[in-house]
Amino acid sequence: MNRFLQLHLLTSYPPSNLNRDDLGRPKTAMMGGETRLRVSSQSLKRAWRTSDTFVEALQGHVGTRTKEMGNRTAKLLTDTGVKEKQAREWARAIAEQFGKLKKAKDDGSEEGLHIEQLAHFGPEEEAGVDALCKALAERQSAPEAEELKLLRGDQQAADIALFGRMLAAAPRFNVEAAAQVAHAITVHKVAVEDDFFTAVDDLNNGEEDMGAGHMGETEFGAGLFYLYVCIDRELLVKNLQGDRELANKTLAALVESAATVSPTGKQNSFASRARASYLLAETGNQQPRSLSVAFLESIRGKTMLKEAIERLTDARDKMDRVYGSCSDKDAVLNAYTGEGSLADVIACATE
Amino acid sequence: MARYLLFQLYAPLAAWGDVAVGESRPSATRPGRSALIGLLGAALGIRRDDEAGQDGLAKGYRFAVRELAQGSLLRDYHTAQVPSRAALKKAPAYTRRDELAVEVNTILSARDYRCDGYWQVAVEATGDSPPHDLEQLAEALGRPRFNLYLGRKACPPALPLQPQIVEADSLQAAFAQGDFTGPEGFVAELGLIAKGHGLEQEGGSLYWEAGMEAGISARQTYTRRDHPRTRFRWQFDERQEHHGTLSTEE
Repeated sequence: MNRFLQLHLLTSYPPSNLNRDDLGRPKTAMMGGETRLRVSSQSLKRAWRTSDTFVEALQGHVGTRTKEMGNRTAKLLTDTGVKEKQAREWARAIAEQFGKLKKAKDDGSEEGLHIEQLAHFGPEEEAGVDALCKALAERQSAPEAEELKLLRGDQQAADIALFGRMLAAAPRFNVEAAAQVAHAITVHKVAVEDDFFTAVDDLNNGEEDMGAGHMGETEFGAGLFYLYVCIDRELLVKNLQGDRELANKTLAALVESAATVSPTGKQNSFASRARASYLLAETGNQQPRSLSVAFLESIRGKTMLKEAIERLTDARDKMDRVYGSCSDKDAVLNAYTGEGSLADVIACATE
Repeated sequence: MARYLLFQLYAPLAAWGDVAVGESRPSATRPGRSALIGLLGAALGIRRDDEAGQDGLAKGYRFAVRELAQGSLLRDYHTAQVPSRAALKKAPAYTRRDELAVEVNTILSARDYRCDGYWQVAVEATGDSPPHDLEQLAEALGRPRFNLYLGRKACPPALPLQPQIVEADSLQAAFAQGDFTGPEGFVAELGLIAKGHGLEQEGGSLYWEAGMEAGISARQTYTRRDHPRTRFRWQFDERQEHHGTLSTEE
């Protein structure tokens, strides 16, 4: 297995404000002596790891999305001869592993078994819940803490293995993240723009007072972003206690999230959801390197995406020539020419 | 004659952590000892909790940095959401998604980065029997065991480090021998150095630690607290860092 998986993405966001600073302005950085828009590494990671895409990709796209797993569990328990009161109590304990319970105390209603938000249950998790119910019915005793924890095994493991965990108070639980995510930076120069907006008061008939009910200003920018991610696949497998199958599912989930999930900032105002237009995956044991130098000189042309793809492949070829080959295998998704696919890239990433 | 391992560092964003307390996370203009020790450790696969391995690196080498572009300063406003302890007690949080499903608080920090900085580094073994010889270090940098980064994990290198070993009388002569432009002048073509910020001298600034033969005289001496005393306790000792200017007629 090649140790490193590198992902290079080009994603174009229309006017948006995905990641803002303390003044509410889109974040920026200087590159090549010019101002570029920036989306921080942290913002990207948060969007990916909290997305439905990540959870679903990890579980193979099939599963149930529900608030009512508690009700199903309680029914399963009463059907196998557990008394109503106990069944509800245990079902609540199980449901609680997947989300915060809607009611702090059980009032005996349907809703008393609900969790607050929809949670996604993969087939394996459902099977886990079923198996636990069966065991509880047989021995007629409440689930133990350890049994409950096991129910969320895969999701927990993948999230922490990929993005790490740091507990200053208890360093022994720290996990080094297998994924390294750079800040996304535009391939061109950007000026952050202001949108002066007013809102009309619909009930103001203008008899006393004319004018807007509210005035405000929003700052935004649009751009084609270069994003670089590098995953230490061996560390990922190690973080997952050697479970290669789960490691591959995790990689697939990451690739899909990185290509399709946008940061959530100001999405209601700008609806700037975008997918990657270009994605290059490389694997190898050589020292990984970002290809941001391709955009050190900002792109000014009108065929920006086309030029950005050319610049990226050109920089990669030149670097290989000058420094020796920087990777062993690769795969490409190119939505500009319609070549390659996400499946190709995932196959390369999980090989 | 001394032997030096040379390599280059460039990234659009880099962060060379300085003494930091609380919210403010400043960056120096150039990598410190601790950053370079960490980089070598990552390349070799020496874990942070491997006290003996880390200590060997800290004691085994001296470092010099040639700063060709210190990069412009970027202060990043960084927020992170954290659930309260009380909320965590009520509902178990196994993933980040879980954590954010309950009531969260926000913590702030101001994190400094250097944009488009470019540095070259020289490593010299302290004694006759360093924990890893320079060839091993060069090999490890070319095929690292862990992810490499310029100070923060979100700052991956954007050029290969191009490790190389040279023999020279002084650091000045060693850097003059370094070949970082590649056969086609790739680095020069990129204009990395020409676009550097606030550089007065074309040859760059040289920062070296006591015991190294610079070949130039020191104009200033700084005190930096970046020599790891113990990695585990995160304690650092002070050291002297000399600074001079390299001439262009090398």
